[in-house]
Amino acid sequence: MAASWITPPTRTELIENLVSGVDRYNPSNVGILEDYLYHQIRSQEYDCLANLAILKLYQFNPDLYNPDVVINILIKALGASPLPDFNLCISLLDERPPNASLDEPDPLPVLLPVLHGLHHLLYRCRFPAFWRAYRSDQLESLRDNYTVECAGFEDSIREVVIRAVKSTFTRIGTDRLGLYLDSDSPEELKSYIDKLGWTLNSEGTVVNIPANLDNQIEAVVVQESIKLPQLTKVIAQAARS
Amino acid sequence: MSRPTLWSTADMDDDLADAVDVELSMYAQQGQNPAIYDQLGAQIEQLEPLLAIQQHMAALAAVPDVVKSFIVSFHQAILNRDLPSITMFYTTTFPKLTDRFYSRAEWPEPEIIAPLLSSNNATEDQVHIFLVLYRDLYYRHVYSRLQPNIDDRFHSYENSCELFNYLLNSPSSANDESDEPAPVDLVLPEQWLWDIIDEFIYQFQVFCSWRSKVKSKTDDELMMLADGTGVWSSYSVLNVLYSLIQKSKINEYIVALKEEQGKENPRPAEEVAQSISPYTALPLYRTLGYFSVLGLLRVHVLLGDFTLGLKVMDQVGEFLLGGSSFGAKTNKYSFTALPTLPATHISTHYYVGFCYMMLRRYPDAIRTFVTVLNFFQRMQRMRNYSGYERKDQYDQIAKTADRTLALYAMCHSLVLPGSPFTRLDDNITNTAKERYGDQMGRMSRGGSDALVAFEELFLYACPKFINANSPPYDDPEAIALLLNADPADAAEGSSPIPTDPTHRHLRLFLASAGAQSPLPTLRSFLHLYTSLTTEKLSSFLDLVKVNESDKEAVEDAEAEEEAIQEMMVLKQSSKSLSRIVPVQGKVDKGNDASSAGVRAQGSLLAGEMISTSDLNFVIDDNTIHIAESTVGRRYAGWFIKNTERSQRVLDEIRGSPLPRGKIGQKQGVPGQKKPTKTVAWGGAGTRATVDA
Repeated sequence: MAASWITPPTRTELIENLVSGVDRYNPSNVGILEDYLYHQIRSQEYDCLANLAILKLYQFNPDLYNPDVVINILIKALGASPLPDFNLCISLLDERPPNASLDEPDPLPVLLPVLHGLHHLLYRCRFPAFWRAYRSDQLESLRDNYTVECAGFEDSIREVVIRAVKSTFTRIGTDRLGLYLDSDSPEELKSYIDKLGWTLNSEGTVVNIPANLDNQIEAVVVQESIKLPQLTKVIAQAARS
Repeated sequence: MSRPTLWSTADMDDDLADAVDVELSMYAQQGQNPAIYDQLGAQIEQLEPLLAIQQHMAALAAVPDVVKSFIVSFHQAILNRDLPSITMFYTTTFPKLTDRFYSRAEWPEPEIIAPLLSSNNATEDQVHIFLVLYRDLYYRHVYSRLQPNIDDRFHSYENSCELFNYLLNSPSSANDESDEPAPVDLVLPEQWLWDIIDEFIYQFQVFCSWRSKVKSKTDDELMMLADGTGVWSSYSVLNVLYSLIQKSKINEYIVALKEEQGKENPRPAEEVAQSISPYTALPLYRTLGYFSVLGLLRVHVLLGDFTLGLKVMDQVGEFLLGGSSFGAKTNKYSFTALPTLPATHISTHYYVGFCYMMLRRYPDAIRTFVTVLNFFQRMQRMRNYSGYERKDQYDQIAKTADRTLALYAMCHSLVLPGSPFTRLDDNITNTAKERYGDQMGRMSRGGSDALVAFEELFLYACPKFINANSPPYDDPEAIALLLNADPADAAEGSSPIPTDPTHRHLRLFLASAGAQSPLPTLRSFLHLYTSLTTEKLSSFLDLVKVNESDKEAVEDAEAEEEAIQEMMVLKQSSKSLSRIVPVQGKVDKGNDASSAGVRAQGSLLAGEMISTSDLNFVIDDNTIHIAESTVGRRYAGWFIKNTERSQRVLDEIRGSPLPRGKIGQKQGVPGQKKPTKTVAWGGAGTRATVDA
């Protein structure tokens, strides 16, 4: 599972060489990586390590800094929860010198606490609260400028929800699920459920979640298994005398 | 009495005893033999102005004889590539002399001792190299015992650059036609090579933290910093480390070794090294390359890039760490092909574990910490027997081990109790409880207390993070802005991104830890039931909330929703990416005795999701079903241990002398040990007859 996070199948060879080699420090390569980011945004892909490479270049070359890129990276990382991607991105955001050479004022300091808050809500699985905050007026600028460009942003958040729900529930009420997925109408919810391949019960009030590794539980008694080869030493010694 | 000659090779230990006398006598006789000084003067004259010469000569005269002879012999040893003597000089004599003469002052400057070296039939190049190495020791001393000033910092950077330049880009000898740089003909002890890399990164780190304190700089310093923007830049540090790694081809070497291991008749390590490149063939470069990888890990962690840190350790990490995790196969070459110093071992595990911790991979972090803490405990015990030579080095290692213990304590509380991993090493857990018992108690209970405890330990144990960029010294307006900034405007606790990197990471960590703080309470309720409705659970939590805080009672539905969301968090926290995956048989889970029970992934970043909690639950619409796994009685270990003990006792009895016979009997077989293989020994009855 981590293998696809380290090397996403959608990553091209060019990017692979950039990310894994010494070329990642070359400031002139930042354009390539940024283009790759925009490709990710448009085609609903995600490549965490390549995005971290962009942030690292910004760390070493503050004049390359582009706040839009940073915000887009953070938005993409929100969709990876509960993996620590968002935290990793923040770790690489160094202090900005006050004389930033930008044309417009830097939107990042304003949006950063907002993004932090959203991430925190997602990590703590407070999904209805997340949707409320996201749809609120305060975040209008975020929605209009950034997330609207990111194709499938809301879907990727829904995937976060599905991941959490899948592992915890075997059956969940449709109302609750609708609340988590922020679906506007029952039909929308139904179509989403069908897309996932889940089934409804006869009255249409409860969704059945298929069995997976996490939601099958059994009480296990961990027994010790002693194999014969482990005892050979003791037995041989006893046999000798 | 005759004047002791400048280049006497008397035994240094004897000299140490009457060093004081020697010093005084030198002063007394300074005026009596000007001839030697004239000689010196003539030699240096071409290089420096007259005044400086006089100063240097006076300074040279002030240097104790012992130190002079040490320097000369040291130089000779390096010229002769005599590794044992170099090692002895470096690890024993240098610290002794430092403690004796220079515990509060600097060593004599390189220019002063330069004239001593011309006697050893060395070429100018070789003298130059020795001075570079000497400067390395000189600056290390300054940084550790004294406060370096800005000149020291700049000069030590230049010296390090010169040293690395020499190692990496020396032109090949005159015989060779090509312009390619060739490996250098130098032999240095591993401890020194590690110290070079370690010190280089340490000076970088210290410089960065010094540099970011804008307000405390004098005007002179501001000017110097404005001019010297290339000094100690992140790029040059990374460049050095990457070049060393590339030149020595250390990663290819390790890959080749791994391949060899799989073959029928593996070639010896040296042959493998030869086949890769002339640089790899030399132990100097191999060692430097290997240490550079570890150094790179450290630099990446200091800059806050944890995944990259683990990624550079791809090849080396499996080598170093693969052999020490439970059940994974040990690498046959691991302890012969690459050097393992205690300092490197501990430092590497500390940084790798820290990376895992920031990646929220607590089981991996715990495993790493346990490995190194066990190693350190063994080392502590052995220290009394083998006598560790460098006390300051041991202190440094001990400090790192202490911080590792703090990190272990934190991870232990974050992996929810009851996980199979926390049961595995009670030894270390007990040590941690002794040292950090108070904090551990607070952390495992959850709640706001826990966060305070986490913060304390994190600030104590975290590496000293640095900012990659310097404040804009070359831009006078910006600097003026920073200097005049009102402290009240500065980022306070309410801002989510404090400018200090340590606090930034602390914030992130506390957010993760904080998300888990309500969980212990939740777990304690779940323990009591096998199935539970969500309403009941929410009423429990309500009770707790009402008792704890002064929040008004929330609506029932909301409370239930809260409860369910916490459950999802609980579920989420009990899964974790882990490098070592237990095989999915029921009987093998969590068993460390059987090697078939675990499967190790390749690189350090890889892993699969595993469950870290013994409390499993699932929500079925509005009911929670709970299943707890327990560990059956483990009797095999106890059984085997006691069998072996009984066997030992029996052997002892058999081997001990027979009791003495009565009057006049043959003295028989006192003290004669019969081998246990003999079948002649029977039961008690037979013995009685022999006696009688």
